Amino acid sequence: MNIWSYIFRRILYVIPVILGVCFIIFFIFNVCAPDPAQSLLGKHATLQQMEEVRRELGLNKPYWEQYIDIVKSAFTFDFGRSWQTKQEIIEMIKLGAVPSMTMTVPAFVISTILAIIISLMVSFFRGSALDRVTVITCVALMSIPSLAYILFGQWFFAYELGLFEISGYESGFPYFVPYIILPVTIWVFLAIGPDVRFFRTVMLDEVYQDYVRTARAKGLSEKKILFKHILKNAMIPIITYVIIQIPFLILGALLLESFFSIPGLGAMTITAVNASDFPVIKAMTVLSAVAYIIFTIITDVLYTVVDPRIRLK
Amino acid sequence: MRNLKNLSFLALSLLLTLGFQSCTKKQNLDEKVLNLAVTAEIKGLDPIYANDLYSSSEVARVYEGLLEYHYLQRPYTLTPNLAEAMPTVSEDGLTYTFKIKQGVLFHDDAAFPEGKGRELVAEDFVYSIKRLADPKLQGLGWWMIDGKIAGLNEWRAKNAEKDSVDYSEKIEGLQALDKYTLQFKLTKPFPQFLYSLAMPFTFAVAKEAVEKYGKEFINHPVGTGPFVLPVYQQSNKIVYTKNPNFRKKLFPTGASEQFKEIEAANKGKTLPLVEKVIVNLMKESQPRWLNFQKGRIDYISVPKDNFDSAITPDNGLTGNLAKLGIELAILPSLDVTYTAFNHDLKLFQNVNLRRAMALAVDVHESNKLFYNGKSLPAQSIVPPGIAGYEKNFTSPYREKDLEKAKALLAKAGYPEGKGLPEITYDCPSSTVSRQQAEHFKKQMAELGINIKVIQNTWPELQKKIQKRSIQMWGIAWGADYPDAENFLQLLYGPNRAPGANGSGYDNADFNRLFEKATVMQDLPERTALYEKLNRMAAEEVPLIYGVHRQNFTVKHSFLKNFIPTDFDAGQAQYLDIDLKAKAEVLKKL
Repeated sequence: MNIWSYIFRRILYVIPVILGVCFIIFFIFNVCAPDPAQSLLGKHATLQQMEEVRRELGLNKPYWEQYIDIVKSAFTFDFGRSWQTKQEIIEMIKLGAVPSMTMTVPAFVISTILAIIISLMVSFFRGSALDRVTVITCVALMSIPSLAYILFGQWFFAYELGLFEISGYESGFPYFVPYIILPVTIWVFLAIGPDVRFFRTVMLDEVYQDYVRTARAKGLSEKKILFKHILKNAMIPIITYVIIQIPFLILGALLLESFFSIPGLGAMTITAVNASDFPVIKAMTVLSAVAYIIFTIITDVLYTVVDPRIRLK
Repeated sequence: MRNLKNLSFLALSLLLTLGFQSCTKKQNLDEKVLNLAVTAEIKGLDPIYANDLYSSSEVARVYEGLLEYHYLQRPYTLTPNLAEAMPTVSEDGLTYTFKIKQGVLFHDDAAFPEGKGRELVAEDFVYSIKRLADPKLQGLGWWMIDGKIAGLNEWRAKNAEKDSVDYSEKIEGLQALDKYTLQFKLTKPFPQFLYSLAMPFTFAVAKEAVEKYGKEFINHPVGTGPFVLPVYQQSNKIVYTKNPNFRKKLFPTGASEQFKEIEAANKGKTLPLVEKVIVNLMKESQPRWLNFQKGRIDYISVPKDNFDSAITPDNGLTGNLAKLGIELAILPSLDVTYTAFNHDLKLFQNVNLRRAMALAVDVHESNKLFYNGKSLPAQSIVPPGIAGYEKNFTSPYREKDLEKAKALLAKAGYPEGKGLPEITYDCPSSTVSRQQAEHFKKQMAELGINIKVIQNTWPELQKKIQKRSIQMWGIAWGADYPDAENFLQLLYGPNRAPGANGSGYDNADFNRLFEKATVMQDLPERTALYEKLNRMAAEEVPLIYGVHRQNFTVKHSFLKNFIPTDFDAGQAQYLDIDLKAKAEVLKKL
């Protein structure tokens, strides 16, 4: 099948998925969630005012209309205004996406490249002391809660040693750089454990394949076997693992943004959850769902690029 | 070779360290900049939505009202701001006439011809208060003027039905008599009305700016205040600069005894005293605390987690902080925490049961557990610092006395708790609220009362209270203005939920006295009535009172004129930075 018709067909499949996702979001936030009127109006709310607020927010509309509104927003990206801050949600998202990505993209790239290099090394020296030490270190890194990295990093490296800014953010390159070095470093430490363990497993699966033995028998160098054969064949699970994480890079890192006062989408989502700001939560949920679906399609298409044996159907 | 490797490693480390060193920014000591931290997101900069402490502080940097709290006086006293003087009040207490200051300019903004801010006139207040009453805008301060200004409720109701709100219609109780004279006519005497004119809800906005920016007005603040912020973008940092057109406002005089020194040091200075105000959003306590210790924030409330390392048992500062010249200010907050009964339930109409339950609570233990032992056990509903609170009054149902509690429980008809159903206790879902609920449960178990704790999200809890589908719950009330009426109203029958009286307590004697007190001017007779009401509230135990919290604020020595306040509407204009002292302090940090 032609790649474009495949993409077109997949996009058509996306429509019922989005409708389903919208239904779940509608059910959670419009049917099950408590009435927000009083919490929005504060401690002096009157019944009449609450009624007016419900009308203003469209909460007195029939359920089917409220569902249509969510579906519309998923396709038009017009999410209305935040209940709490009265800001246009799409503007809030635009403003927040850049700071999120200035932190998450470098962190993701560095941690992924490092993890692939380390995994290749340990699979080359599989069973050796280096392999064991790496695996133990990975498990140890994974066992420490992310909050501990953040608290320690902020206190020791930023406050005690004064090497980094404790928190904050400034827009534009290179002004944001001093503010993201520490959160990026912490991200790398957080991500490297699970990444190395996953990549190592994937590569070891390949290491014991017949084609590797054949390559060795033919006298190919270990370097060539690792980089040309093993890495190439391990790319499919690696691509899946990597690309599926991309939507979450746009959406930011909840704890890191909150602790480092980075005005990204992660911090925005936490604030919205704490304030029961449903339009913002709904917008973020719809966006994540849409982004997840899009990146799944991209993953499928990329499979054919790394492995021509795979055909799109 | 090995040495060479080591050397390279050392050189690389050094380079990295130097590289990182340049990653931290030096503080600007060329101009006076106030560095503040807020712990919650700002809800935009439209006065009519400023219903929380954070948003109202921000709004008050840009906008101003007719009145303000005198910066150097305690107890809190209203003083003219944009008003020329305090109003003249008619004999019947219904008509308030204000003269407003002449020559006050709005900030320069594209909303005005040639971008030049025009003069503020009395009509701007008429417009601003109509905006607060506009049914389409749902201003969050409507409760403050609801039913109080003649003709305003009718105007609101009429316009609720229309597609667009008619601002041109004349309202009997809200009129600009001429360019500089503003008159309010109230529907009934209500001296607390003046407090609403010091609240950001009623601050003056310019019609031109509202019309130009429409829904985006919330992001384009245009006021008359000491600082300007042309466009507000939701971010982690808001930077205000000094308003170049600010009128000549002098540092206040007439300080209370404890602030005479500040008055003397600043006599004749024009406000604001700093060039810039930077407000940093720091939601988490660790970065806030560390930034303060590095001198990047000028003052903060001591975070709960750092309390023990910062404050000594005798309310002093620990050695490290004291050595750096950091200073501590303790402010009893105007608030009260309490456990409420749903008085609709026959069970809780039994005063002996309520008293028994109150006597089973060890307020000192909960103070230690949840407030580092630094709160004040509440004897009744009115907090210290306002008229109606009596320093030496102690409630007969405050100190834990299990024997007396058991006797009262038996008198209530439930000896050792027999015959009592399991009682549900609802609390918000935060960790501390749950812990407090569990502590309450444990104490009630000592009396033989079974409590079931239910956690709720905040909206769920509100809904339950409003629908009366709740038995007991824990909550707190903070003052909107410094008047006992604001607390006593929590027990006024007609105020039942969804009004402020969530418990639905309704006592005819209390209601009658409350109605009498609240229409009286601030005179000793009114204070006597407030005290009587407060004693009734202690005797009848309509709520189990918890504590009045205290705010522990630490500040750097280079920050001048700082006075902790419950009502930060414009505080930044009075604060000053001693740049020389700051440079010295920063060297030590």
